[in-house]
Amino acid sequence: MSAHKQSEPGAQASSIDPSTSAGGEILDSGAHAVEGWVTAAPPRWMEIALHILMAPRLLVRHWDLIKTSVWRELQARFTGTVLGWAWPLLTPVLMFLIYYFIFTNLLSSKMPDLPPELDSVVGIYMFTGVLVWTAFAESITRGTNVIVENGNLIKKVAFPTEILPLNLVLVNLVTMAFGLAMFLLACLVLPIWPAQNPLDLCWVPLLLLLQAIFSYGVTLVLATMQVYLRDTMQVVAVAATVWMFITPIFWVPEFIPDMPETMLEFVRVNPMYHLLYSWRVVLMSETPDVIFNGDMQTSLGIFALWALGSFVFGYGFFLAARRRFADEI
Amino acid sequence: MATNYAVEVEGLHKWFRIYPGPFQRIVEGLSLGRIKGHREFSALRDINFKLKPGSSIGLCGANGAGKSTLLKILAGTTSPSAGRYRINGKVSSLLELGAGFHSDFTGRANIMMNGIMMGASKEEMERLTPEIIDFAELGDYIDEPVRTYSSGMGLRLGFSVAMAVDPDVMLIDEVFAVGDMYFQKKCVDKIYELKKRNKTIAFCSHSLYDVRQLCDEALWLRDGDPAALGDSVSVTNEYTVWQRNHIDEEAEHLSESEAGAVSKRREELSNAPEVLDARVYHPQSGEERYEYQTGDDMEIRVWWRNPKPEQNPINLAVGFVYPDMTTVAGMLTHIDGFKLEGSEGCTSVHCSKLNLLSNQFLVAVILFDGEGTHQYQKYLIRENLSIRHGTKDVGMVLVDHHWNNRPEIALPTGSGARIREANVDGTQGHSSGEDGGW
Repeated sequence: MSAHKQSEPGAQASSIDPSTSAGGEILDSGAHAVEGWVTAAPPRWMEIALHILMAPRLLVRHWDLIKTSVWRELQARFTGTVLGWAWPLLTPVLMFLIYYFIFTNLLSSKMPDLPPELDSVVGIYMFTGVLVWTAFAESITRGTNVIVENGNLIKKVAFPTEILPLNLVLVNLVTMAFGLAMFLLACLVLPIWPAQNPLDLCWVPLLLLLQAIFSYGVTLVLATMQVYLRDTMQVVAVAATVWMFITPIFWVPEFIPDMPETMLEFVRVNPMYHLLYSWRVVLMSETPDVIFNGDMQTSLGIFALWALGSFVFGYGFFLAARRRFADEI
Repeated sequence: MATNYAVEVEGLHKWFRIYPGPFQRIVEGLSLGRIKGHREFSALRDINFKLKPGSSIGLCGANGAGKSTLLKILAGTTSPSAGRYRINGKVSSLLELGAGFHSDFTGRANIMMNGIMMGASKEEMERLTPEIIDFAELGDYIDEPVRTYSSGMGLRLGFSVAMAVDPDVMLIDEVFAVGDMYFQKKCVDKIYELKKRNKTIAFCSHSLYDVRQLCDEALWLRDGDPAALGDSVSVTNEYTVWQRNHIDEEAEHLSESEAGAVSKRREELSNAPEVLDARVYHPQSGEERYEYQTGDDMEIRVWWRNPKPEQNPINLAVGFVYPDMTTVAGMLTHIDGFKLEGSEGCTSVHCSKLNLLSNQFLVAVILFDGEGTHQYQKYLIRENLSIRHGTKDVGMVLVDHHWNNRPEIALPTGSGARIREANVDGTQGHSSGEDGGW
């Protein structure tokens, strides 16, 4: 039966063009598809592997979404504050001043046998450590709840949910990049630390990328676990604190007297040790030599393996569990 | 994957796992599912249907019957537990108003965000934004944070964005309820426009009227089972009948305390007046007919029942309604001062010399209470009225008219900006327009 006004010839076509992107949606929606059929079967290993391999394509396709969400998140953090966009710049400066003055002047904790122009080494060492660690820790602690938090959105709007933890990781990296920029600028114009070697700075993009991949992988695992087990968040909060102290942020492993070699090896199992070591090689201009007696490329290589491993495992875990997210949250 | 269908659903089931607590979940997880800690709740059972491009299906049923779950599965936010489905083309869904809106951002920023989330590109959204703003009609509010919006405004914004991304298949959960009549009409128009452009629509509503209006087909879900599937008028009528009778069934498996309330409701229901049937007849030939020419006579007969006419006097209304829900004409007994007599019977309304012009009309019968304020029932006549006219008149109705040349009548004073200087003799008195012919 036809109950519709037939008298008007043709549709009053609005100026909206038919959209171009029709295919490929199934892949993103997390559903398992054969010839366009969405079935109840859980994703197979091969499909998960394919999906992981296709991650860069997903990144390209949803770049607009990622960009807009990251921008929105940053905006949400700073709009409404009096200082607004000065905050991401001001925070690292304040942080730096605290570490610089407290550890260089007040506590005068100096490293032995160093020339006076390197007095501030402890302050700089801690600042770089805190800067990198904060970005990572924020990503994993806040990221743990990101799927549960956005439960209503996930239930009601079909979109690639892996974007949610990615946004958080990227937001924290952008905030960290502000800090990095301020620090590099300060070293360039102020006599606080020898300026960085421009060649070393070429490592920065790679370091940021690897850090992003590693943080993303860990966040994916935690966010997935949190959906099924809400205790995850509490555990992560404690675990992150423990992790912070076993990572050389406030202490220099080389300077701990009588540290047995086995202990040092244990410290080096920690992927964050390698990340921090690599960052510090770049940011501290490999000065002083006593700290930088290792090989940066080795550390970077080890961290890259960690990053890849955590991403493949984390994303795979996430993909395998994702189809039931909407039912569980 | 060449297919003639826009949406195909085959043997779809959905069940949810319900865990008594987090501990059972851990036990089940650690035993790799060998120890079952959950019970299953079945939300949908064996749903099958196919939709051709340009057709629409309405989902009806009580709360918790699985309507929203079905839409969520089709939208891809949750997965089926058994069976399969396939959608050909781009899907857009409006499952909840303002899902994904960030309340601290302006309407404009949310349009961008929401559109991109639904899969449009940034350039596309930049191009579409003026149109969306135009359709949503939020005025200056578009640059205010969404948290300052009323729910109706949120609906407008959400609906506008969902429509603008130009889906091939549109899934709409019950969202119209909050909008004002004007915007509801606009949404309905938009949905018609989509249908004309060969888009497919799945629509879920408690309003059977909307289902009948907007959908060719309907699926009635009863506790997750497909109770009926077919053309929207017969399915919704079946549903209405069931709703009325179901109350007995309900009482059987209810506790005693609830049974009291139910039997009271049953009594109310059995005492409630109802329209039993309504048909359109051609008075001259006396046969049931639904095709008329402008100028024909027509008779609408309504069979009704009212067990307690002394306590609840009733009134009837018969209206002609366009498919887009515009009421073209309405005839009401309480306006005309006509009384329905007895506890059962047939009342007819005779319309002589129809002045409706060519169109399809739905004939709606409404049963009112004695004051004409409360609607007991809305009944749509099964078949649509089709009216044709042979003349070249335009518009919706033929107005009884004739033309005259009246050179002797002067222009009233004060009419228009440019008043001619001539023939103003000052004797016009008060303007005839003011004393209110209405």
